[in-house]
Amino acid sequence: MRTRTTRQEAERSVSTSTTETPADPAARRGRLRLDGVRKVLGGKEVVSAVDLETEPGEFLTLLGPSGCGKTTTLNMVAGHLGADGGLIEVDGTDVTGTPPHRRSMGMVFQSYALFPHMTIADNVAFGLRMRKVPAAERRRQVEEVLAMVGLDGMAGRHPRQLSGGQQQRAALARALVIQPDLLLLDEPFSNLDAQLRVRLREEVVALQRRIGTTTILVTHDQEEALAVSDRIAVMADGVIHQLDRPREIYLRPATDFVAQFIGEVNALDGTATGGGTCEVAGARVGATAVGDPPAQGAGVRVYVRPEVVRIQADGDGLRGTVRETRFLGSRIRCVVATGAGEVTAALPFDAQVPAVGEEVTCAWRPSDASMAVQ
Amino acid sequence: MAAVGRLNGGAVSGPESGPGSGPGSGPDGQGNGPVSGRGSRPRWRTGLLLALPAIVIFALLFVAPLFTLVANSFRTQTGAFTFGNYVRFLGDPFYRDVLWNTLRVAALTTVGCLVIGYPFALYMRGRSPRVRNWLALLLLSPLLISMVIRAYGWLVVLGPNGPVAAVLTWFGIAPPQLLYNDTAVLIGMVHVMLAYMVLPLMGSLDRIDPTLVPAAKGLGAPGWTCFWRITLPLSAPGMLAGAMIVFSLTASSFVTPAILGGPKVKLMPYFVYTQATTTLDWPYAAAIGFVLVVVTTGLLLGYSRLLRRGHGEAVFG
Repeated sequence: MRTRTTRQEAERSVSTSTTETPADPAARRGRLRLDGVRKVLGGKEVVSAVDLETEPGEFLTLLGPSGCGKTTTLNMVAGHLGADGGLIEVDGTDVTGTPPHRRSMGMVFQSYALFPHMTIADNVAFGLRMRKVPAAERRRQVEEVLAMVGLDGMAGRHPRQLSGGQQQRAALARALVIQPDLLLLDEPFSNLDAQLRVRLREEVVALQRRIGTTTILVTHDQEEALAVSDRIAVMADGVIHQLDRPREIYLRPATDFVAQFIGEVNALDGTATGGGTCEVAGARVGATAVGDPPAQGAGVRVYVRPEVVRIQADGDGLRGTVRETRFLGSRIRCVVATGAGEVTAALPFDAQVPAVGEEVTCAWRPSDASMAVQ
Repeated sequence: MAAVGRLNGGAVSGPESGPGSGPGSGPDGQGNGPVSGRGSRPRWRTGLLLALPAIVIFALLFVAPLFTLVANSFRTQTGAFTFGNYVRFLGDPFYRDVLWNTLRVAALTTVGCLVIGYPFALYMRGRSPRVRNWLALLLLSPLLISMVIRAYGWLVVLGPNGPVAAVLTWFGIAPPQLLYNDTAVLIGMVHVMLAYMVLPLMGSLDRIDPTLVPAAKGLGAPGWTCFWRITLPLSAPGMLAGAMIVFSLTASSFVTPAILGGPKVKLMPYFVYTQATTTLDWPYAAAIGFVLVVVTTGLLLGYSRLLRRGHGEAVFG
């Protein structure tokens, strides 16, 4: 087993001598593993037993409302907060007790945290200076990374002379130039206006794909999480409710919280009939079980997104009466009163719209809905 | 008049008007006559009115006496114009020594306050508001006691039979002379002046984004490097302000140096005092006082210019 210091030296030599290329995925760094990580703050357990593991090069998002423990988790990964239990590993090395300045993590803060008394070049060079990179090499790398984030020509400016978006890019450059094991992004887009936010996040994703640094994003914006992530960990009250790809998180939520937090959902109570089907208000409907399939007769809740509901004149599915239809531009909203309560469907704009009062069937593909034991 | 104004305002604007409009016209009508005069007074005049008491006090009690002082310093005892007082002061090695010693004590007090006050301010920054209030009270407590009583307290503490001497003797160390020298004056002055250093420093430290240090740590900077490269330079404005206040207050302080310094440590304010009250040479007292004002102001200006250049506009912008 290597000691901490030798690992440090190894890292230092990597970052100074060679420009890393993510050619061989197997050799890529940046596998983060959290095992039962806990944090107690002010007598309250804000993070309880969080487990997760990233693939090298993965873009993973911690998504949840404020106070759910996502930022605390990120700060424990960065080392700014000590864990009260559990294990934090990077590429197989335990870093749980390693102080932040000996971890190799590039972090971008919500406030950008650029050093106001230094130029952009000095800000970006700070990490290299700490790694004792010689001046000429330092200048070259700073220039390179500033060009990469589209800030060439801004090197001599001070942070306050830059716009919010430019400061954001500078903070990103500062985090990336040290070629970190992990890139940690703490709500980095939330201080930007809506248009810029979308543009910048697209750029960040493109950049991340290109350089292949494992990235952990913390956000409360579900649309952002869906748009950028390889996988999303939905957090609430200090625990991960679901960790999966965006499509699965959206279409097959595992818990009420996940279902409600991300977009609109139809939650229907029913009884499991075994074999991936269940009975809701007397009708057999299909849904994919999240985790172990529920035993026959168990009470389940079925989560169906409005987008996946099809309205048909007849056929298998949940029968009901059309209560309301509304043209919303991109979608047509159709509310059907069924035996299990109202079901909302968001139909494509060119769909055949049923008349109000018409008897219809609500149907969906079993793979587009989830059911969870209640 | 006020009643009429109120009635008028109420009748014109009606009951549905904003809560301010009816009663608001009353006091205004009282002062200026026209009922509709609300808001007609230029904004700058209102602002000036707010500052007026302070401006009057400064003009009457500071600027005017300062001119009198300067004028007096160029007079002989009989009232004739002369440069003699300044020639006498600058020509006398004794007085030049006193000036030098005054500046030295002020500078050492400033450094002492900085060295003791900075860690204290850093400690205070991380505390809860409740703890901070108590610490601030502790810091300000020396200012709540009369300067004379406080200085006599130090006489007891530092005296040959005081606790400091007792502790040193107990450890087998022969207690050094603690009273009636520069050390005694320094201890007494730092005690009083600490608050003037810590409070502006706190203001400066509070304005530093709390994520800057974690950001620096994440980039590989150990704690000390974070302090030297981030916290210290960003708190320069507070240090500058604190140092200016402490330096100028110490250079012109009289009671504490007079009591704790005894007959050996003589600073400028002491000579202003003796020339004015014992020798009754008011013009010379005025000249000594003015020399102190000019030298202190000059040093502070130079110092702030130097810091400004050293840290660039970023710190002050």
